[in-house]
Amino acid sequence: MSALAIVQTQNLSKTYGANNSVNKVDLRVQEGEIYGFLGPNGAGKTTTLKMLLGLIKPTEGTIHIFGENLSKHRPSILQRTGSLIESPSYYGHLTGLENMKVMQRLRNVPDKNVHEALRIVRLENQKNKKTEQYSLGMKQRLGIAMALLAFPKLLILDEPTNGLDPAGIGEIRELIKSLPERYGITVLLSSHLLSEIEQIATSVGIITQGNLLYQGSMASLRQKNRNAIFMKTGDNAKAEQLLLTQGYSPAQSGSRLELGTLQDTEVAEMNRLLVEHRIEVTRIEEQKKSLEDIFLELTGKGRSL
Amino acid sequence: MIKLLGLEYYKIRRKKIGIMMILFLVVEMLWAFMSISRSIASNPDHAVWESVFFSISSMNGLFMPIMSAVVVSRICDMEHKGSTWKMLAATNVGRGRLYAAKYICTNSLILYGIGVQALFIMVIGLTKDFPGTLPSDLLFRFIGGTLLTTLAVAALQQWISFAIKNQAFALGLGMLGGFIGMTAGLFPAAIRHLFIWSYYLDLSPVTYRYAESASVYIVQPESVGIVLGSLIMTLLFYFVGNFHVSRQEI
Repeated sequence: MSALAIVQTQNLSKTYGANNSVNKVDLRVQEGEIYGFLGPNGAGKTTTLKMLLGLIKPTEGTIHIFGENLSKHRPSILQRTGSLIESPSYYGHLTGLENMKVMQRLRNVPDKNVHEALRIVRLENQKNKKTEQYSLGMKQRLGIAMALLAFPKLLILDEPTNGLDPAGIGEIRELIKSLPERYGITVLLSSHLLSEIEQIATSVGIITQGNLLYQGSMASLRQKNRNAIFMKTGDNAKAEQLLLTQGYSPAQSGSRLELGTLQDTEVAEMNRLLVEHRIEVTRIEEQKKSLEDIFLELTGKGRSL
Repeated sequence: MIKLLGLEYYKIRRKKIGIMMILFLVVEMLWAFMSISRSIASNPDHAVWESVFFSISSMNGLFMPIMSAVVVSRICDMEHKGSTWKMLAATNVGRGRLYAAKYICTNSLILYGIGVQALFIMVIGLTKDFPGTLPSDLLFRFIGGTLLTTLAVAALQQWISFAIKNQAFALGLGMLGGFIGMTAGLFPAAIRHLFIWSYYLDLSPVTYRYAESASVYIVQPESVGIVLGSLIMTLLFYFVGNFHVSRQEI
């Protein structure tokens, strides 16, 4: 992965009245990445993406895309950027092909791009139908095709699988995954679905209430996905004292002791030690912290996603 | 800009704007034809070219603001309906240029409507056998005056149609304009000149003077003040609208 940041923001903020929609976000998307921008509804994802496209003016902060300042080089940046923000945009009285032609004229790209983009999203057979007769999923596909039309260097997709059926979601997921390698496109996509981001993204940024809580590779996020051993005994306080003297690091966790990540031999040794000291071991459990647990921890437990 | 203008014409296909304009013009022309015929029947001295110029100009006060509002609304509303303004603004084409292309497209369509009116004036003059040849100077002044007023009206309508998604506001403004345009002749000049819709009559090459003995059509001199007023309103509405819409958050 190259170290070149395709998208870089500094202290990016957007305030509506007293409400901070986006608060000092330092986003960093590197070339060739699929960056998943994850957060609950209303977290500030769309506002951030709109600021990256110049549709909304930031209250504070700077945006650099392709190393250029957005406020100074907007046309040149947008020429190399494709986007699909919120709901798909389309002229209902025009056919799918005519909608693509509108974008073609604006983007100044050859006819073959139109047909290629329609083929990629599997709309070739529906291209002569008026878009007002399209299903939501088809409109979404058309929106993706329009964003892909110029095969841009950067593709910004806001909730791209909205309205798609499970098969469609799978197809779009595979399409997005293939874009960096096949066309050299860097993808920045937002979603409120952890499972979606988990399957597509190589890097992730987690935002909630306008604050970017985590940013890093998917691999490093998964490392937080560690196992922990929990033990329940007849006398947890006595067991804790004993284990501390033996160099372990137990911690009270409700009615159990949390012992962190341990080897099988360590667990057996610990068990033997407690039994020898007449402390009953009633339960030994291994618990895996899922990405969802990590996400909920970061964004606030019990919050609706 | 030519490319963007072409794109606007491409986008309005199947919107049936041309047919809608023709229907508007047919109603206006029929009304004007009946009005002129009745006028000539009651007073044969009214069988002159000036009568048709005055009739069309005065009816334009009612019809053109509404027709302009509808045309502009149809062209702008398609960007609201499919959220396409957001899509266009996210390309490398400046919003100001898109706004300009739409404005030129709108006015070119209305100019086509004014052309139809000019043709009607010629046809009615010939069929009613008005004395003398077609007064081309009056015809050009009619086309120029109507277009000049329309430029300002369309600029105002485009601003409202873009800034407020609900097109009821824009169409309501068009109807209000039609009402003011129709009744403009009843207001004192100082008040009348504040409202752009009254300029259809003010920039008409012919006026009608009511007299106790006999009312007559009079060719009115060109008023530089009115022309300037119209141009200033055009520039004001266009640039304020463009500034507002281009900076609106989407």
